Amino acid sequence: MKPLHPFTFWALFTALAFGVIASDGNISAFFALGGAALIVYLYKSTGAWSASFKWSLVAGAYFIFIRVLTGVLIGVPRPGNTLFEIPRIALPSWLPGIRIGGSVTLERVSSSFHEGLMIATVIALFGAANSVTSPHKLLRVLPAKIYQLAVTLTIATSVFPQLITSIQRIREAQYLRNGSRPRISSIAIPLLEESLGRAVGLAESMEARGYGQSKKQSRYRPILYTGRDLLLITSGFLSAIVMVVL
Amino acid sequence: MITFSRVSLLYPHSTTSVIEDLSFDIAEGEMVLVMGHTGSGKSSLLRLINGLVPHHTGGILGGEIVVDGKSTRTTKPGELAGIVGIVGQNPIDTFVTDIVEDELAFGMESLNFPHDVMRKRIEEALDQVGLASLRNREIATLSGGEQQRLAIACALVMHPKVLLLDEPTSALDPIASEEILSILHRLVHDLSVTVILAEHRLERVIGYVDRILLIEGEGKTSIGGPSEILSKTSLVPPIVRLTRSLNLSEVGTSTREVRRITEHLRNELPNTERPIYQSGALLLEVDSVTASFSSKIALKKVSINLHRNEVTALMGRNGAGKSTLIRTIVGLHKDFSGDIKYEGKPIREIDQKTRSQTIGYIPQEPGDLLYLTSVSDECARADKDNHVEFGSTLALLHQMLPTISPSKHPRELSEGERLTLVLAIVLSGSPELLILDEPTRGLDYEAKNRLMRNLYDLSRKHGTSVLMATHDVEIVAEVADRTIFLAEGEKVADGATLDVLLASPAFAPQVAKVMAPRRWLTVGDVLRSVGESS
Repeated sequence: MKPLHPFTFWALFTALAFGVIASDGNISAFFALGGAALIVYLYKSTGAWSASFKWSLVAGAYFIFIRVLTGVLIGVPRPGNTLFEIPRIALPSWLPGIRIGGSVTLERVSSSFHEGLMIATVIALFGAANSVTSPHKLLRVLPAKIYQLAVTLTIATSVFPQLITSIQRIREAQYLRNGSRPRISSIAIPLLEESLGRAVGLAESMEARGYGQSKKQSRYRPILYTGRDLLLITSGFLSAIVMVVL
Repeated sequence: MITFSRVSLLYPHSTTSVIEDLSFDIAEGEMVLVMGHTGSGKSSLLRLINGLVPHHTGGILGGEIVVDGKSTRTTKPGELAGIVGIVGQNPIDTFVTDIVEDELAFGMESLNFPHDVMRKRIEEALDQVGLASLRNREIATLSGGEQQRLAIACALVMHPKVLLLDEPTSALDPIASEEILSILHRLVHDLSVTVILAEHRLERVIGYVDRILLIEGEGKTSIGGPSEILSKTSLVPPIVRLTRSLNLSEVGTSTREVRRITEHLRNELPNTERPIYQSGALLLEVDSVTASFSSKIALKKVSINLHRNEVTALMGRNGAGKSTLIRTIVGLHKDFSGDIKYEGKPIREIDQKTRSQTIGYIPQEPGDLLYLTSVSDECARADKDNHVEFGSTLALLHQMLPTISPSKHPRELSEGERLTLVLAIVLSGSPELLILDEPTRGLDYEAKNRLMRNLYDLSRKHGTSVLMATHDVEIVAEVADRTIFLAEGEKVADGATLDVLLASPAFAPQVAKVMAPRRWLTVGDVLRSVGESS
C-alpha cells in the first residue's frame, strides 16, 4: 500500500479511541480493534516500529487479566448470578463496603472485563498508530511552533518500540546469568537507565542539529494529503459517531 | 577557530570539577585528539564546544569558550548547528528519522534551507562518506560502520567549521574504522574542517592527529604535540610502548616513523617466534552448524573446536556472524542445524541451568546483568545463584580490582570497573567455558590490561576455555592463542594467532606493521628477541 500522511493514522486512531471511550461498549471496542488490525495489516511498515501493535495487544491482554483478577478478589460486592464462591477474608469494621473474596458473580466478572477491555483497546489503538507510522515521521510534519511538545512526543513515542528490543536483550542476558527466567523488577532497572540515556541522547541530537531554531521549516520530501487520507479520516470519524449513537 | 580561556566545569551535585582553568586555542583545519581515562570528562569537553554542556546538562561553567567568534555562554547549541557538528557515541540513538535521506535532510529542514540547496548538499554528503547507494535504505538495517558514516554525513550537510566525534571507531571493525578515519583526514586536508575527537583506541587514530589534549583527572589537563603528550602518560598505544621499552630516544607516533628508527633492530635481532602454545583437552565442538538470523543465513556450515586452557579470539567484520555463533553456543539461538557437543555430549540435551553454570557469558552491555543497588549486593546475589560460600564473589572481585568500593552503586562504576564486576559475578560460578562479546569497547588501556591479565590467568591457572568475539586486534595479539575468522557467515581462517593476524594486513597489530617482515605481534615478542640477542 502507498504510504499515507502520518496525521491520517493518528487522526483515525484517535477518533476510534474517542468513539470507544464515549460509547463505552464492548462491541464497539471489538469493532475498533478489528479495524485497527485490518489497517495495520494493510499498511504494515518495516523496522523496529512495526511490532508495536502486536506487543500492545499482549500488554492489553495482560491488563485485562489483572483487572478481572483484582475485580474478582477485591472490591465492592455486586449482586447477581453467582458463578462460584471463594473464601472471604474478614476485614475490620472500619472498612465497610470493601471485601476480599466472597461470592463471584457473573456481573462482577463481566464489568471488570469491560473496564479492562476499554483500557486495553486504547493501548492497542496507540500501538496500532505506532505500527503503521513511526513517530519519527510524525515529528517531521509537526510545525516548529510546538517545539517542546514535539520533542517530548518524539522521545516518548520512540522509546516504545526500542523498549521491546532492549527488554529482549536484557532478559536474555539475565536468563544466562542463572538459567532461570528473570523477574520484571530486575529487568526494569537496566532498562530504565538505558531508556533515559537514549531519551537524553535524542534530545541532545535534535537540539544540536538546530531543531526548533527556525520558525519556518522547509521540506525535503513533503508528504502531501491525498484523497485516500481524507477517506480514511472521514471513515474514522464516522465510525466514532456511529459507536456513540448506537 | 576554538578558544578556551580559563575554562572550569563543575557538574551539579558534584564536589570535584571535571576541568579546571583550561586554556588553549585550536586553529582552523586542525585535528585534535582528546584522551584520558574512562569517565575523565572527554565527552564533557567535546560537548562544551557546542554548548550542550552546560545548556543541556546543567553545571557551572567558569571562563569563556569562543567558537568561530561566538561565546557558548550566550549562544545555544541550536544556534551553533550551522557551525559545529557533533557525532555521538551511539549514532543509532541520535537518529531522528527512519530513512537515510530523510535523516540527512533533518537538520537543514529545521533551519529552513531551500529545497535546491538541500538536494545539492545531500548529494555532496552522500558522496563524501560513500553512502550514495544506500540513500533510500532504512537506517535500522545499516551496519555499524554505515551508521557511523551516516552520522558524520548528517553533520557534514550543515557545512560545519568544526566537527566533534565521540569515540567514532569504538564499535567498528578495523576496516570500517580505517574508512572513517580517512574520511576525517580528507575533511581536514581538503575542506579545512577542524576535527576534534575522543578515542580510547589510540593505535587507530594516533597517526592522523596534529595535537593531543590529555585529561589527567582532578581538573588537570595538558595539550601538545602527540610525541610530547605521549611521553608523559601511561595511556599509550603499543607503538609508543615499543619505543619506550627499547629505550629509543625518539617517540614515534606513525608506523613509518617508527619503522625508520627501528630499522637496525629489524636487521640485527635474531629470528625468534612466539612459542606454539599447547592447549588442553577438547571441550566444545561445533560441527557444521548452519543458523539463520531474522530470515537471513548468518552461519554457513561453521565448525570450530574450543579447548581447555586456551584463549580463542573470534574476529570478522560487523555482521559476519560472530554474535549468532555465540548466541547459538550459549543457548539463546535454538534454531540451528548441525551439532554442538559439550564434552562429547550433545548440547541440546543439557538443561539450561547446567548450561548457564558451565558456560559463562558476558554480553556486549555488561550492565544488562546488574539490577541491584550496590556492588556488595550484586556479589551476594551471585554467591546465592552459584551456590558458593557467602563473600567469595566479593573476594574474587577484590582480587581482580582491589580499589573498588563495595558500597558503590553499579551505575556509578566506570566501564572498566563494571566489566570487572560482571566478570567476577560470572566467574564465581567457576564456568569451564567463558564467552565474552566485544569486551573492550569503551575501555582505556589500564582496564584493558587488567582484562588481559584476568583472561590469561583463567586459561593458564584454572584451565578455563575462553572465547572472545572482538574487533580489537591489539588484545587478540596479546592474549589469544588461537584466532578464528568469520566472513559472511563462513569460517575463513582458524589457526595460531600469529599466522592468522599476519595473513591479513588490515587486521595486523601496530607492532607487526612496524616490524614487518619479522613475525612479531606485540612488544613482548620483540623484547623476547632482544633478550635472546644479549
